[in-house]
Amino acid sequence: MSSAFIPLLLDSLASAALIFFAAVGLTLVFSVLKVLNVAHGSLYSIGGYLAASLSLFVASRGLNPYFSFVALLLSAALVAAVLGPLLEATLIRWVCGKSEAVQILATFGLFLILEDLQRIIFGVQSYYEDTPMRLMGTTTLGGVVYLNYQLVLIGVALAVIFGLRFLIRHTRLGRLMAAVVADREMAQSIGINTDRIFLLAFSLGVFLAALGGALSTPTSGIAPGLGADTMVLAFAVAAIGGLGQIEGAALASLIVGVARVTAVYVAPEFDAVAPYAAMLVVLLVRPYGLLGTMKIRKV
Amino acid sequence: MVNVTGGLASVAFAVAVGLAAACSAQEKPGSLNFGIFTFTSGAAAAYGMPGKNAADLMIDRINAKGGIAGVPLKATYVDEAQGAQGVIAEYRRLAADPNNQVMIAALSSANCLALAPIAEQLQIPTVGWNCDTHQLLADGKGKYVFRPNGNTVPEFVAYAIYLLQRNPGAKSVAIINPDYAFGHDGAVIFKAALKALKPDIQIVAELYPKLGSPNYQTEISRLTTTRPDVVFSNLWGADLENFVRQAEPRGLFRSSQVILALGETVLQRVDLPDGVIVGVLGDGWWMSPDARANPAAADFSRAYKDRFGEYPVFPSLKMANSLIYIQAAYEAAMRRNGGKWPSRPELADAMKGSRVATLTGTTVTRADNDGVVDQIVGVTARSSGQPGVTISDMVRYRGDELMPKAGTDPIAWISTLTPEFASSLPKPGSYK
Repeated sequence: MSSAFIPLLLDSLASAALIFFAAVGLTLVFSVLKVLNVAHGSLYSIGGYLAASLSLFVASRGLNPYFSFVALLLSAALVAAVLGPLLEATLIRWVCGKSEAVQILATFGLFLILEDLQRIIFGVQSYYEDTPMRLMGTTTLGGVVYLNYQLVLIGVALAVIFGLRFLIRHTRLGRLMAAVVADREMAQSIGINTDRIFLLAFSLGVFLAALGGALSTPTSGIAPGLGADTMVLAFAVAAIGGLGQIEGAALASLIVGVARVTAVYVAPEFDAVAPYAAMLVVLLVRPYGLLGTMKIRKV
Repeated sequence: MVNVTGGLASVAFAVAVGLAAACSAQEKPGSLNFGIFTFTSGAAAAYGMPGKNAADLMIDRINAKGGIAGVPLKATYVDEAQGAQGVIAEYRRLAADPNNQVMIAALSSANCLALAPIAEQLQIPTVGWNCDTHQLLADGKGKYVFRPNGNTVPEFVAYAIYLLQRNPGAKSVAIINPDYAFGHDGAVIFKAALKALKPDIQIVAELYPKLGSPNYQTEISRLTTTRPDVVFSNLWGADLENFVRQAEPRGLFRSSQVILALGETVLQRVDLPDGVIVGVLGDGWWMSPDARANPAAADFSRAYKDRFGEYPVFPSLKMANSLIYIQAAYEAAMRRNGGKWPSRPELADAMKGSRVATLTGTTVTRADNDGVVDQIVGVTARSSGQPGVTISDMVRYRGDELMPKAGTDPIAWISTLTPEFASSLPKPGSYK
């Protein structure tokens, strides 16, 4: 087993990176808008479908294969630019401030609509597009061949964590978001356009979800059902980290990644339940998540 | 109590309708209606759609020749991706319609197991076109469920024999199969055969990822760290395609002898390296010597390619052979009753004990309704005369040699196999 330590570590980090991309947008949206967006997984899979479609277009037109990297980022940006404002200005703005039950039911309805739309637009067959993975080659570490793309994703996940920290703590937009999070009414009273902040925060959340889906395409297949699987995992990560906690989402992704990979290595029969067993343990000890704070309910 | 009474009334009504249909269906109908159950969406559609395509093509071809005794075929497709509850409901709905006289169900072993008792209850002949699990007909008491395309026992025993004939020095094996009945059954049979034929072989890892998993990177790392001589997998559909696409660049096919039990289904879509042991879970390979020598098979393959853009994979041939099986049963039943259109029980009687020439060989239906078909196994290779990857070093094992007698516990039978038995069988490369 000791010989498997390096592969176990690397696989845990690679797995955590993909899980983090799936969960961080959900956490960001909840932290600012206080909306539990059940349709988050669909935005992830739409990003994946669009990235695969654009990359396949690049390949079919005989364009420089390095354009497939551009396609990954462009697809996430397109999804955010189109669906972010559209959804926020309609359904999300309507459910903002309503009870959690209303939010969950409304966004679950949105999830069902988006899943059907994906079937209509992209069909029911799986999509594969691995050009970026093949362009980046492989590296042998701990006796196991790894895709350089997997290793780079770990770096990209770290960059997103630090980028979001910088955005929230050291930019004007971040401070405005913090003000809205702290007290929406007070923020409005001092002239902050909270609707605009909500729109930007939600669109950023959509971008992160779509980016996660797009970045997963070179190493995974995209097929109907991906959105539902992603949604469940993203909620587990958000619950472990503490709803609304970006650093918590990062830490929770690592825990879930380690739990799942260790299960595959040591007790594969528990592979599917390992992330949720980790969630159960954390919530038993800290019901509000690792970095979550206890909420005082006003009556 | 009201609900219970209502439920019983519904069941009684359904049975009454079914029995009425069974007894009164002596006049030739306007069309021969039937349900076809397969996956037309989701990850499993990569396997299910070739089956549906083959059904579409075969039905058109049979109808173009006047249908069966002048009656055109008309299929209603049911998507198995909706889950077992929906599949059962659809089956009951179709069976309750007296116009539906036979079913082709299903692709998923789990759905086959769920539908079998309902088929017996409603007395509707049901042809399991892809019901490979050996558990399906284990009790040998069914009258209406038939499986013309073989089961998991000969399918996976064939791989163990081929492996040891080709790599007699193999010492360690890792397994990665989907986490449901087909994956676990396949592993049990393959391990039992290896243990009987080469007792010192070690199983160093067994992984059962969730069906429909898009990412196998961790599993590939785990398989690599165990350094197995052999990696065996019966992943299928999009799962298989994902696994191959992810494992190939990571060198798994270079470091181990890989067996992909359903590998033929991805040969036209994925650039598999040479030397991978693949097969067709039966005899349904469109390029096999028998299929090439059969004008009907060659014609079907050409028509399939023209219509769908690729050649038929073995699920396509399983479906096509199932329709040929049903056609043969109708013709046999009508010969027996003086040319009258057969009832459901008469159709089932005609299937029992039948011997039907298919596009790719022969299927013999035993007394327990299980079909005996040959098993073709080979390795991937590039051929100068063929584009892409093909299968070489083929062997064709006789189906009856790899199946226990009806009523025998299959795992107990496998444990009686000996290395001498394996060495008495045809060798790799003998099927040309």
